[in-house]
Amino acid sequence: MSSFRIGAALLLLLVLMALFAPVIAPGDPLAISGQAMLRPFESEAHLLGTDRLGRDVFAGLVHGTRTTLLVAFFSAAAALIIGSIVGTISGFLGGVTDIVLMRITEAFQTVPGFLLALATISVTGPSVPTLVLAISLGNWTQAARVTRAEVLSLRERDFVAAARTLGMRPFEIAFREILPNAFGPTASLAAISVATAILIEAALSFLGFGDPNRVTWGSMIAEGRTVLRAAPYLSIVPGIALVVTVLSVHLIGRGLSRTERLQP
Amino acid sequence: MTDSYLNVRNLNVSYGSTTALKDVSLQLEKGGRLALIGMSGSGKSTLAMAVAGLLPKQARIDGTIDFAGHRPKLGSEIGVLFQDASGSLDPVMKVGDQIAEVVATHLGMSWIAARVRAAELLDRVKIPKALSRLNSYPHEFSGGQKQRIALAAALAGNPSILIADEPTSALDTVIQRHIVDLLDELVKDGGLTLLFVTHDIALASEQADEIAVLYQGELVETGAASQLLREPKHPYTKALIDTYISLDRPRSTRLPELNMADLP
Amino acid sequence: MPPLAAFFLKRLLTALPVLFIVLVGSFLLLEAASGDAVDAYIARSGAMDAEQITQLRTEWGLDKGPLYRFGAYISTLAHGDLGWSTAFERPVTSVIAERLPVTLLLMSIATGLAFFLGSLLGVVAGARPGSLRDRILSTGSLALYAVPGFWLGLVLIVVFAVDLRWLPIGGIESIASDKTGLARLGDIAVHLILPVCALAMVYLALYLRLMRDRMAEIWRDPFVKGLEARGLSRRRIVWRHVARNAVLPAITMLGWQSAAMLGGSVVVESVFNIPGFGRLAAEAVARRDTPLLLGVLLCSAITVIIANLLVDLAYGKLDPRVRIGR
Repeated sequence: MSSFRIGAALLLLLVLMALFAPVIAPGDPLAISGQAMLRPFESEAHLLGTDRLGRDVFAGLVHGTRTTLLVAFFSAAAALIIGSIVGTISGFLGGVTDIVLMRITEAFQTVPGFLLALATISVTGPSVPTLVLAISLGNWTQAARVTRAEVLSLRERDFVAAARTLGMRPFEIAFREILPNAFGPTASLAAISVATAILIEAALSFLGFGDPNRVTWGSMIAEGRTVLRAAPYLSIVPGIALVVTVLSVHLIGRGLSRTERLQP
Repeated sequence: MTDSYLNVRNLNVSYGSTTALKDVSLQLEKGGRLALIGMSGSGKSTLAMAVAGLLPKQARIDGTIDFAGHRPKLGSEIGVLFQDASGSLDPVMKVGDQIAEVVATHLGMSWIAARVRAAELLDRVKIPKALSRLNSYPHEFSGGQKQRIALAAALAGNPSILIADEPTSALDTVIQRHIVDLLDELVKDGGLTLLFVTHDIALASEQADEIAVLYQGELVETGAASQLLREPKHPYTKALIDTYISLDRPRSTRLPELNMADLP
Repeated sequence: MPPLAAFFLKRLLTALPVLFIVLVGSFLLLEAASGDAVDAYIARSGAMDAEQITQLRTEWGLDKGPLYRFGAYISTLAHGDLGWSTAFERPVTSVIAERLPVTLLLMSIATGLAFFLGSLLGVVAGARPGSLRDRILSTGSLALYAVPGFWLGLVLIVVFAVDLRWLPIGGIESIASDKTGLARLGDIAVHLILPVCALAMVYLALYLRLMRDRMAEIWRDPFVKGLEARGLSRRRIVWRHVARNAVLPAITMLGWQSAAMLGGSVVVESVFNIPGFGRLAAEAVARRDTPLLLGVLLCSAITVIIANLLVDLAYGKLDPRVRIGR
């Protein structure tokens, strides 16, 4: 349980940072705010230093939390929703629908999620909604498989038979009776989905395919890379923020799966 | 008791606040055959496992278990046979190797010699075409055959005492008979000391020279098998024998259906 | 039919529809793109008059409907032709053939390292679940699992290439060195050390956790008590039995991990300036090279399918309960 608490505390801190970003670091984080290439702790006004253009690293870090959490949360949610809908339909209807949907799922699994996100971004252009779409496209298959397996085992249960005799329509049964019951195991994928989404978003913006109008940790790392020899901290600091965020999500996930395992 | 081989004195075993065994003392001479009998939860298996030294770590053990003055080695001096045969064999290792590794560990033989010995052992437990089945895996055998293989592995280190914890209760009646006969033959041929756990008093009386009756963690009666059957002293023993005599009841439910009101 | 042939045939039959869906999907995705290869070409090569543009469009088949283009693509594919890369002005097949070997080398070394070292440490942790070394390794793997590969690559560059100057900063071999034979091989190996580490660490953490968790479960399996009762040494029980049983699910992971690793190679190759298949994907996107991107997607899907096939074959050999072709 303690790993859950540490994770939850860290994530809460990050969420607060994201919510109060304009208060903590007022002004546009992309604007030049001082002398360029200040080292961390060199200047009181720029605690973590400034980049090549004189933008404040701390402000970038704080505002970057917003992009990271926003994209990660929504794409993980989208992935879980898409996955559980596909899984429910597939498991509930069976037959040809099941075969076709599972082949499609397999096809999505076969293409590396990151390449799929990259291709999608190349079509739609980078913005927060398209990033959410691009990342969730490669991230829903696991949820579909888990939900389908769960639906298959739930399909024959008594309460489903009862719903049938009550004259509920198949889709009503699938989405009102089965899906809510199958959602538990699927939700346990949430932590891993969020973590994956954070890492894909970071990698995309590192390659320059992120939202150009927002500060992201990935783009900060890429920006720092051009002066890696002179100022390695410009790449290292946002990376640490990434590691801490992903770690907090993993800690929560581990805590959750432990408590779930303890329940009979 | 002239030549006492196993000496248990004032043994108490508890798990947290639950007491599994209360002040149990018994003796077993070399070559003797003792049956521990009682219903599930009576502590008979706990006693057997305590003697084998295989109780879980969280068990609190008081009292002494003495083997003619020294602590015997599992495998080479004590052989153990469990109820669930498939549960005592590694599913992904060839049965020949599983027996041979016991031989090699305890008898210091080379691997080739150990494999030859394994074939002999498989033959002794009457696995047909023993030599050719050395390279088969556990799932390729029937339940009864698996128990024979487990017996071969238990005897592979040439132990002088065999502890059998309900070795036949997971098998059906005909196969039970084969295993019991085999066990009987091997114990007699090898001059083994036998500690046999069962809930079947008929089996106990034909397998053992002596019977010890356990009831709610206490040893309530012990004596020579024939004597105990003829003149049971403890009401629980009487009840056990009564249920055995009324054979019209289904076998498996005989013990749980004891009328507890008749007992002290 | 021999069981192995039947196995391959069955896998091929399931792989074909999957590949077709991949093709349709990626083609649809790219059809949705605004601007085509000609626009990209113009943007790169400067001014062109309208006539030239139309001519180029006809030449590249861009004036026909999407269905026509897709049909044309499928038919050329059937001839083993992946189309013409507009960015490289060479057949896609030749561009990919040039780039793929480096990435496959990088991936297979990284997979081997991650699997071998990860499982090994997983056994060390899983030998005594709950012990101090288990807690240290488990926590360490959790932390490592949170590290993005591209950032780790940069940190490794800062430490080992910039500060310590032990290893090259990037590339696949020294430029303009006319090394041949073993010397060249050694040069490539030295260049691969950092990228392999950057790519492998996440998966190392994954296999560590997987192995450790599975071992913790297997310790509770009754057969382990049977082994203890036979007086086998702890070491033998850990390595020959518990670890041997636990490694099987880890092996099944290897196939799908190849997809994730291909994705990871995109960023890692960009960080280390390795002219590989992964970086090719990023280049195809940046240069709006539709045929190249389709080729890359298709090739990575084929790579993943082959990796899964190999893994299933290996699994069939290692788990006696599974028999291929039955």
